Amino acid sequence: MNRSPGKKKPSLVLRLYVAGNAPNSVRAISNAQAVCDEHFAARYELEIVDLLDHPHRALSDGVIVTPTLIRLSPLPVQKVIGTLSDTNRLLLVLAGQ
Amino acid sequence: MSVSSLAEPRTLAQRLAEAEATIEALLSGQVDAVVDPRTSTPVLLSKAQAALRQSENGLRKSEEQYRQIVEATSDGIVKIDPLAQVVFTNRRFARLLGYQVSEIVGASLFSFMSDAVKSTLLKSSESRSSGGDAIDVALRHKNGAEVATSITATVLVDDAGMPVGHLAVVRDVTEQMKLQSQLMVSDRMASVGTLAAGVAHEINNPLAAVIANLDYVSEQRRLLLDADPALRLYESFLTDIKGPLEDAGEAARRVRLIVRDLKVFARSPEEEPTSSVSVTTTLESAMRMAWNELRHRARLVKDYGPVPEVQVNEARLVQVFLNLLVNSAQAVPEGSADKNEIRVTTRAEGNRVLVEVSDTGVGIPAAIIGRIFDPFFTTKLAGVGTGLGLAICKRLVTDMGGELSVASEVGKGSTFRVALPLMSALTTQKVPSIRPALASARRGRILVVDDEELIVRAVERSLGKEHDVVATMGAREALALCARGDAFDLILCDLMMPDMTGMDLHAELIQIAPELAANMVFLTGGAFTPKAREFLAVTSVEHIEKPFEPANLRAFVQRYLRVSNVPALVT
Repeated sequence: MNRSPGKKKPSLVLRLYVAGNAPNSVRAISNAQAVCDEHFAARYELEIVDLLDHPHRALSDGVIVTPTLIRLSPLPVQKVIGTLSDTNRLLLVLAGQ
Repeated sequence: MSVSSLAEPRTLAQRLAEAEATIEALLSGQVDAVVDPRTSTPVLLSKAQAALRQSENGLRKSEEQYRQIVEATSDGIVKIDPLAQVVFTNRRFARLLGYQVSEIVGASLFSFMSDAVKSTLLKSSESRSSGGDAIDVALRHKNGAEVATSITATVLVDDAGMPVGHLAVVRDVTEQMKLQSQLMVSDRMASVGTLAAGVAHEINNPLAAVIANLDYVSEQRRLLLDADPALRLYESFLTDIKGPLEDAGEAARRVRLIVRDLKVFARSPEEEPTSSVSVTTTLESAMRMAWNELRHRARLVKDYGPVPEVQVNEARLVQVFLNLLVNSAQAVPEGSADKNEIRVTTRAEGNRVLVEVSDTGVGIPAAIIGRIFDPFFTTKLAGVGTGLGLAICKRLVTDMGGELSVASEVGKGSTFRVALPLMSALTTQKVPSIRPALASARRGRILVVDDEELIVRAVERSLGKEHDVVATMGAREALALCARGDAFDLILCDLMMPDMTGMDLHAELIQIAPELAANMVFLTGGAFTPKAREFLAVTSVEHIEKPFEPANLRAFVQRYLRVSNVPALVT
């Protein structure tokens, strides 16, 4: 599932692994979207992948638990595990080097 | 299997940090699922599992709720695809057509319509927009019968807005249509009632004059013939006019009977006294009256079950049974009484008494059976029936709080069923006063008050020989006579008069000459204002209905004078 609110090449590319509509996953999706919309409006891409449907993909991304958010771009790759409710920490990871 | 295909190989520090974050997330309950790297199988943690289950349950529950609504509604619900094939239906729709749900799903909705209905529907659907309006469609029941329905259809579209079929809500309107047609009938009956009241009034006044005068002429003719030998010259003439006079009298009496029958529709049943009546006794007396009609046509079979008494007006019930018996007899061709049967059955059912009159006659074609209770509807030859008999029966039975119905098969016969409630709502009981009869006629002084000159003259002629008749054309004139001290043994007074009514005169007389008020008898033409109706219901003043037979009027006056307390002041 691709979300690319902007037409320009996004500067932030994220992938979020979730488990169906399980509560922590639902929370993580809404937290990620809220932070991105607020701080990276029109310049981000967020892909949401269901672990239950794509376990191999998760493993190849080094993901073994959900929810896990991966920052694919810019490099280096970063991961955040959990419901992403700590906005400050999330911002640090997303914006950091 | 590689754990990481991402661009950079991770340092040990990074891996440790990741592991720590994972453990932290696990401990704080923020993890939903773990994927087992050996089997690549995702495993939901029990909490997430429970939550998912709950939401699935919720879905199931809400689905169940919608199901219940769909099944509980009194309307049929059908979902069809663009080719009119049924995709879904509720039980109500299936039951409406006499099928199981499984028999309907997969079938074409058109297969439950006649070809005619189908083509009309297809034609009209072209001109119809997306729907929303209810259309009347006759569907076909499994047993072949037509079911009248009203269908509201909505177009169903998919996410892309493409039509994927229709959702139809089907309402059974059979009952509604039945009620509507009943309403139309009762509407029609109400207009007949209004018409009858008017006609009765307009006809009865002149008719009273016709009958009374014909009677007078006949009487004069007889007297002439008897009395004066000098008139023998005219004997053949006088003899010749006897027949025409009798015919005219007969014809006038027939008019009177028709008008009297019509008045049934205009009358208010509350005015008629009711009593506990034995149904079988009433039937027996109706049978005696109808015997001449019955005996040449059919055997009469009585099948009386034990039934309780009903609270009705006995004369009216006799009228109902008499009409039904004569009607049955007339349905049977004459001459083979041994092959035909009229069966009269009584039985109790619940809180009703059922009386059935069945015949083995010609039966009633389905096309006209709906109209047989309509006034003036008749299949009999002119002169044999007026078309009022069954209409009157229906009206009378309805007024008794009962029901009159018919079942018939052409060639086999008909059954008329009267269902009467055990306790009628009409409990008012009025016992007519009976004046004891005494001997010897006496001459009285009689005041006649009627705005109709014909009536005044007819009454004068009818009573003039036996009594002293004073005629007035209005209540004011009559009041003036009474006020100046004239005495009358009897005041025959029209009830409804333009300027001052009979009721007004009565009220005035009570004030100025109560003994005269007590001697009043009203002449009524049949049409009553509500006020007059009310007055007659509570007053002790007697009334005579127009048209009256002169002989009956004379007898009434004699009877009245015999028991009158006020002696005549005139010699």
